[in-house]
Amino acid sequence: MSRLLCDGLNLSIAGMHVVADLDLELEPGCFWGMLGANGVGKTTLLKCMAGLRPAESGQVLLDSSPVDELPRKLLARHLGMLQQHTAYVFDSSVLQTALTGRHPHLGYWQREGPNDVAQALKALAAVDLDGFAERSVTGLSGGEARRLAFAALMVQAPDVMLLDEPTNHLDLRHQLQIMGMIHELTVTANGAAIAALHDVNLAARYCSHVLMLFGQGKWCAGRTTEMLCEASLEQLYGCPVEKLHSQEGPRFYPVCRS
Amino acid sequence: MMPTAFKHLFIVLLLLLSVLAMLLASAAGSVTLSPEQWWQALVNPSAEHGELVWRLRLPRALAAWTVGSLLSLSGCLMQVLLRNPLADPYILGVSGGAAFAALLGMTAGIASAFVPLLALAGSLASILLVFGLARGEGPWSTTRLLLTGVVTASGWTALISLVLALGSDSSLRGMLFWLIGDLGYASTPAWALMILTLIFLLCLGLARSLNVLAMGETTARLLGEPTRRLLWVVYILASILTATAVAIAGNIGFVGLIVPHLMRLLVGSDHRVLLPSAMLFGGLFLVFSDTLARTVLAPRQLPVGVVTALLGVPLFLLLLNRARLKV
Repeated sequence: MSRLLCDGLNLSIAGMHVVADLDLELEPGCFWGMLGANGVGKTTLLKCMAGLRPAESGQVLLDSSPVDELPRKLLARHLGMLQQHTAYVFDSSVLQTALTGRHPHLGYWQREGPNDVAQALKALAAVDLDGFAERSVTGLSGGEARRLAFAALMVQAPDVMLLDEPTNHLDLRHQLQIMGMIHELTVTANGAAIAALHDVNLAARYCSHVLMLFGQGKWCAGRTTEMLCEASLEQLYGCPVEKLHSQEGPRFYPVCRS
Repeated sequence: MMPTAFKHLFIVLLLLLSVLAMLLASAAGSVTLSPEQWWQALVNPSAEHGELVWRLRLPRALAAWTVGSLLSLSGCLMQVLLRNPLADPYILGVSGGAAFAALLGMTAGIASAFVPLLALAGSLASILLVFGLARGEGPWSTTRLLLTGVVTASGWTALISLVLALGSDSSLRGMLFWLIGDLGYASTPAWALMILTLIFLLCLGLARSLNVLAMGETTARLLGEPTRRLLWVVYILASILTATAVAIAGNIGFVGLIVPHLMRLLVGSDHRVLLPSAMLFGGLFLVFSDTLARTVLAPRQLPVGVVTALLGVPLFLLLLNRARLKV
């Protein structure tokens, strides 16, 4: 199982510091939640981790190889990313799109075999898209498209999963379902995952660790139970937060003080 | 979109229809042949009309098929390259460079046999120019390529107008035919068929990568494609296809835009099916158009580009309307 390591990472976007000297290890079995205000650079950091954009200094290593030096095909077998948006310019079927996850695992002239199709169908069923296989991707609802993108990532089956707001557009049940699946994959399949999230309580419920980005390069990281508290969240979002105790543990709600 | 099981049958059907269309094209023309005469000529090249069928009509039909296939394949590639279903083989200025060089040659009174060579040289110059200018660093390569290509194409258009304005009246008709696209002087395109076959096979190998590229550059990279390299390979292959077609027959319009679009509607966007379908249908479409061009006002011949546009424009508007309704 691969692990991803950020080593002294300095990253900025448009003159704004995202992280300064970030040292972070995504270990197998860990599910990280990444929290931070809008525009603080969560997507930028995920893209840097995926080798899609360079850092100012420091590096991202996949098992001791810098991600931006690995051949993309090799990298894609071990590291996958769910992007925040998926737009389809060309029409394609749902099954075809799910099958793209097999792309890095197949050779130049190789076609997808029955095994690949079976994997894709299984992933589609797991996100409640069974029966959608022959449907067109352009006709999907926002939430269905989101679940399809996640199914494609499941088909790719990387050890390290980078997820940019995986619960966007999802209804409550599917939010729990997708987060539960990621949690399951990190625990039982020993994968590593980091997900940019806006729902603090999803992080509280599913993530083993949390990375907080405060802006101006400030960050802190640690176990979820130690990281999530009123003070840190108020500092993070600039709005008062109240802690409530549910049967499943502490939950956080923004407070309206006018 | 048709069911998956039919798609392979569809390709076989297109292949058979292509052969049939070329045979039928050899029966039609300004010299009317009875079915018997035609059959005699076909089975026996030394028969009365053997020369006409084997030396004139069949080579021209084959040239038409080749050019149609080249343009359609190029259109498919350009559409993925620019991630735009409305891109066509000429959008990045390949044909403009060819046209300028060819017209310049015609003005200078160069023998018509050399015009294809000039066109080829012109398009290669344009390919290299756009390639050199657009090769920047950073993630903007597709947009940059599109802008560079479109602006270069406009530059060529201006130069072409200049040549037309300054050229002699006597050469104007030939130039016009060339600009609209004309198979009248097309020679037996053995080398073009070789280029077509070679690039088609290469693209078929790349088909799954093209599928992924169609989902966007970032998605393709995340799925393991070195996209910068892939984009340039696709650009070069599409450009060579276009240059070959233009060298043979001038700027035949609409085939390279409409055929890929039509095939996408029929067989979907999986390039393993789309590329062979578009290639075969493009050839078929141009053989049909050229036969019309030769026969509608026989013995006068129309430039085939007029026919493809006249058939293509209504078809295209219909598709556009349909696409809007679907959204």
